[in-house]
Amino acid sequence: MKRWHGMWFLCVVAVLGLVMAPAIGQASNPIKVGFVYIMSGPFATYGQFAKQGAEMAVEEINAAGGIMGRPVEAIFEDSTGKPDVAVRVIRRLVYQEGVACVIGLDSSGVANTVVPLMPELKTPLIVTHAATPDVTGNLCNRYTFRISVSLDQNVKAAALVASETKAKVWTTVGPDYAFGHQSWEYFQKYLKALRPDVSFMPSDQTAFAPIKTTDFSAYITKIMQAKPEGVLISLWGGNLIDFVRQASEMGFFKGNWEVLMTLGGATEVLYALGDKMPEGLWVGTRYWFLANDTPQNVAFRDNYKKRYGQFPSYNAHGAYAALYALKAAAEKAKSVDKEAIIEALEGLTLELPVGTVTLRPGDHQALTNATWGKTASDPNYPLRILKPIRIFPAQTVTPPLEETGCRMK
Amino acid sequence: MEAMVVNVLNGLSWGMLLFLISVGLTTIFGVLGVLNFAHGSLFMLGAYGTMSLMRFFPSFWAGVVIAPLLTALLGMGVEITLLRRVYLRDVSYQLLLTFAVLLVLDDAVRILWGAAYHVVDPPASLAGTVGLFSHSYPIYRLFLIVVGPVLGLGLWGFFTRTRWGKMIRAAAQDRQMAEGVGIRVPLLFTLVFGLGAWLAALGGALAAPHQSVGPAMGERIIIESFIVVVVGGLGSFPGAFVGAILLGLLDAFGTLFAGRVQMALPYVVLAFVLLVRPRGLLGREG
Repeated sequence: MKRWHGMWFLCVVAVLGLVMAPAIGQASNPIKVGFVYIMSGPFATYGQFAKQGAEMAVEEINAAGGIMGRPVEAIFEDSTGKPDVAVRVIRRLVYQEGVACVIGLDSSGVANTVVPLMPELKTPLIVTHAATPDVTGNLCNRYTFRISVSLDQNVKAAALVASETKAKVWTTVGPDYAFGHQSWEYFQKYLKALRPDVSFMPSDQTAFAPIKTTDFSAYITKIMQAKPEGVLISLWGGNLIDFVRQASEMGFFKGNWEVLMTLGGATEVLYALGDKMPEGLWVGTRYWFLANDTPQNVAFRDNYKKRYGQFPSYNAHGAYAALYALKAAAEKAKSVDKEAIIEALEGLTLELPVGTVTLRPGDHQALTNATWGKTASDPNYPLRILKPIRIFPAQTVTPPLEETGCRMK
Repeated sequence: MEAMVVNVLNGLSWGMLLFLISVGLTTIFGVLGVLNFAHGSLFMLGAYGTMSLMRFFPSFWAGVVIAPLLTALLGMGVEITLLRRVYLRDVSYQLLLTFAVLLVLDDAVRILWGAAYHVVDPPASLAGTVGLFSHSYPIYRLFLIVVGPVLGLGLWGFFTRTRWGKMIRAAAQDRQMAEGVGIRVPLLFTLVFGLGAWLAALGGALAAPHQSVGPAMGERIIIESFIVVVVGGLGSFPGAFVGAILLGLLDAFGTLFAGRVQMALPYVVLAFVLLVRPRGLLGREG
């Protein structure tokens, strides 16, 4: 029995050590930031990349002395892609964790529910992925910013690419929710203005597939039968991977039509598809790791590759960029007070890996360039890269403030 | 005409994949009386297992043979340690238990394999396409259309012609009587659950070259499988076959003609069948 007393004593010391350790670390009072992404389910890989980008930014910022001398502490929550879950975790982050800012949101459906809630929570939200125009349009508010390319910017660039092709009759394949339908609607509006001679197929010759679709053969057959000259594809994630593979098998990409994929330049998708992604297709993205060689971008892509073994995706960039925006705003305001941060974020200009980004005061949308490119193979990369790369400057692709429908209160 | 033929093939190949998954679900229900929520997770394990085994063996077929067998062993383990305890309890216990197994397996898959999407190549012999009018049609899809009926016939033969199959049917009809004539029912139930798990994983293995392998791939297919089983008749073998073909064709032609209503069609059919024939198209009365 006596020997056990010694063991017990050791155990108590060990447990106390574990309990005490974080308390000692907390002495310098960190700034908490909440990150909300899809961490589970079919789109979980987007959340994983975002988390990696955020963690890298936290580590870099803390190594360089934190934000005004205080370390940053990231808290990650899983939105599961469901609006009600996202609302619950964001309330928890604000009321229980006391975060200075919320960063994230992948799905436009989630964003549409969360954005109107932010004035009630009186906490800044920096959207980094969800692209719906409503976030910085008719739902815009003082607390919500978006640092990534919006649907309007992405699709305006798509229309510019499309206007240079020979295709005159266009149709679409998209996910059957607001994002897919809005992509098609904006594409028609922008392309018609650029090229009055093009036409768009009626709704019975377009294809909108429910998110849970895994077999796209019927949609592929439908579009092939319609014999368009151009196809805009706004599918993303696993849906896009399934579509590309099945469409390849069925000879879709050998068809006599132009193909534009608004979110085909996501490395989450390109890594998975590897050489199954056909060459010579136009794909869009919100950030491309080879788009420029500024010191910011070279450092970001090389460090990311070293840490995680893969090149950063646009979602990794979004989370990374948002935390740097928060840092810049806090340092400009010399405060982490939420209202002071919001005032500092308005009109803030940053040098980010993607390029120079300004958060427009009128609607809180980032004035950032939109990237498109043609898929090409390169023996130095395990995924398709973009060649040539087309970069559309913010002033070319961002709708003027009057057109956004945003009325900031 | 061309479009019709291609669409029938689209519908049949999707339907056969649904059949592979539904047939295990309906077998487990027919014999054990358990509605297995974790079936989609077993389907997912078959796909992930095949993908991982292909790194050790150079052949897709090695994965198709081994992954379902391993999943069957896991299924039997689950039956022996967990499910066996709730057969005599209320149905809600079984639902909660298999739902818990689903959550555990889904998270385990995420921990083991991560969140990324993966792509599995079809075997070289089935990788190409064949000419069909002016279309080219993937051989792998045609292969799926053949596999479904072959497997269905094999299972039907097993249940009607073999001694084991007859014992299983006897145990399903009257457990006490079967025990009375000396059939070891607990062992039989374990084997049947293993068979169901094997079928689910086989479906996953064969689905892997057809769709991306990723988290929650089971969730996306399980709802349609449930509809197939209920429409066809719970526990009915030919019912699952008919239900799967019906849903596959409905999906293909609904996409072509029904536009946005297509999403609701399976549920409309489900509601209609439940109203007219509450036991499903080929379900047993009584």
